[in-house]
Amino acid sequence: MTRRVYINAAGAIEIDRHFDKSYKALALESIRRMEKRFSAIEPEAVVVSSMSPESMGEQIGLAGVIADYLGLRRLKVFRVEMGEASGLAAIMASYSLIASGLVNRVLVIGVEKITELATSHIVRVYSMIGDSEYMGLYGISPASEASMIAKLYMARYGYSYEELFKWPITMHRNAVRNPHAQLKFMIKADAYRDSPIISEPLRLLDAYPFGDGASAVYMSSKPGDVAAEILGIGSSNDAHDAVSREDPLFFSSIRESFGEALRMAGINRDLINYLEIHDSYTPYSYIILESMGFAERGEAPKRFSPDTSSIDRVYVNLSGGLKARGHPWGATGIYQVYELFQILVGGWNPIGVDMSNGYAAAQSMNGAGAQSYIAILRRAR
Amino acid sequence: MAVRDSPPRIWRLRDILYRIKYAKCRSCGYMFYPPRISCVRCSSRDVEVMISKGLGTLVEYTILYQVSSRFQDSAPLIIGLIRLDEGFNMYGQVVDIDPKDLRKGMRVEAVLRRLRVDGSSGLITYGLKFRPAIGVHHGRSS
Repeated sequence: MTRRVYINAAGAIEIDRHFDKSYKALALESIRRMEKRFSAIEPEAVVVSSMSPESMGEQIGLAGVIADYLGLRRLKVFRVEMGEASGLAAIMASYSLIASGLVNRVLVIGVEKITELATSHIVRVYSMIGDSEYMGLYGISPASEASMIAKLYMARYGYSYEELFKWPITMHRNAVRNPHAQLKFMIKADAYRDSPIISEPLRLLDAYPFGDGASAVYMSSKPGDVAAEILGIGSSNDAHDAVSREDPLFFSSIRESFGEALRMAGINRDLINYLEIHDSYTPYSYIILESMGFAERGEAPKRFSPDTSSIDRVYVNLSGGLKARGHPWGATGIYQVYELFQILVGGWNPIGVDMSNGYAAAQSMNGAGAQSYIAILRRAR
Repeated sequence: MAVRDSPPRIWRLRDILYRIKYAKCRSCGYMFYPPRISCVRCSSRDVEVMISKGLGTLVEYTILYQVSSRFQDSAPLIIGLIRLDEGFNMYGQVVDIDPKDLRKGMRVEAVLRRLRVDGSSGLITYGLKFRPAIGVHHGRSS
């Protein structure tokens, strides 16, 4: 019999080019933001999610260094790394620590510094998420894989680039209402015209921005006065690259992890009101929604409503998503959980729709659905 | 940034850099690249590794401008999705062609090219890229 797991507090800092802040400083700041709402933090374990502190900060064993700096000693310390999906993988690992009864309280910190290096070096590090004996070796960057998938998607389902571009426009509009988003500005319908091509047809405005960030959540076996409960959590993996799979335009790892999380929560998909998804590149947003079953294959661009940022009665990425909130790699999944927490119990209501009594889900993945993690949360009752 | 390629690593990768080894599932017939010890489609462990002739068709392509620092000297890169004649897909760099002449469905062949140069005193790594097929295929296993 596993135990129930709650999120008692969460905090995050603005995603930005924090040239003046180290990994330690970012982590500390995220905890200070959390403590504004919750003072009694006494973790028995610290789990740090970070994708590439070795390459970006020349730091191995980041979790130990951060825990020590924060004055958190004589406890269990781990770092979780699953590429871009590290954040939700860290939530899953922390969930397991508590559900199993090994510990009662875990502090999870997602932290990443990306803007330490010039863009080409950031791309070199980011490209390490691909198989280094294949994609990395031949310079097949994640953006080029996303572009290939975009072209295959457009050709199979008959969409123009302009038709898909409503996603970034919507994400930028959402980010304006999100205090911790990196790109808090609107873009016009034809903004792509002036946006540099990163890998044709995808432009800079189709990709997440490079930024530094940190977010923290405090998890425990007790709900306390107010908390969100992790009702379900699922994960699955697939062939690491998209084109060795039978169908590169449907991410099975997402379907499987969502099914697992829904079964664990004991609900069906229709009950989900709010969703944060891993839209690292425009085409992925649609494929994710289709792989989760919120639209038939090839239908998500038609079904997604930019006016309400919703699909099939589910609000999606009110944070602005990876596209405009930002994507500080290993911290991103923790930002998503922070946003769910804010919607459910933190009083954040960016569009004037009260979702505090609903079900919310966060979806994270590495690469093009190579590994996926999904968590379903609800206000504890 | 000085990147130092590892001589043992590049030596060890010779089968990947100089040949295209793919896997074929004896159980369901599915073919995939790179090889794994179980089938990507049916998970059977009864797979055999084979060597491609390196001839194929360009299914899709993209021109990559935002390249890794490792490939800055050759930017922009043409990245192709290639369907090899044996029946599997792989990504690869496409060379010897002006981007405006690229066509989906064009025939391509693997060719050995310089992949990267590690500074002025480091290793020069060669590997396979794809060029428009010129109609004459050299060598036994690309």
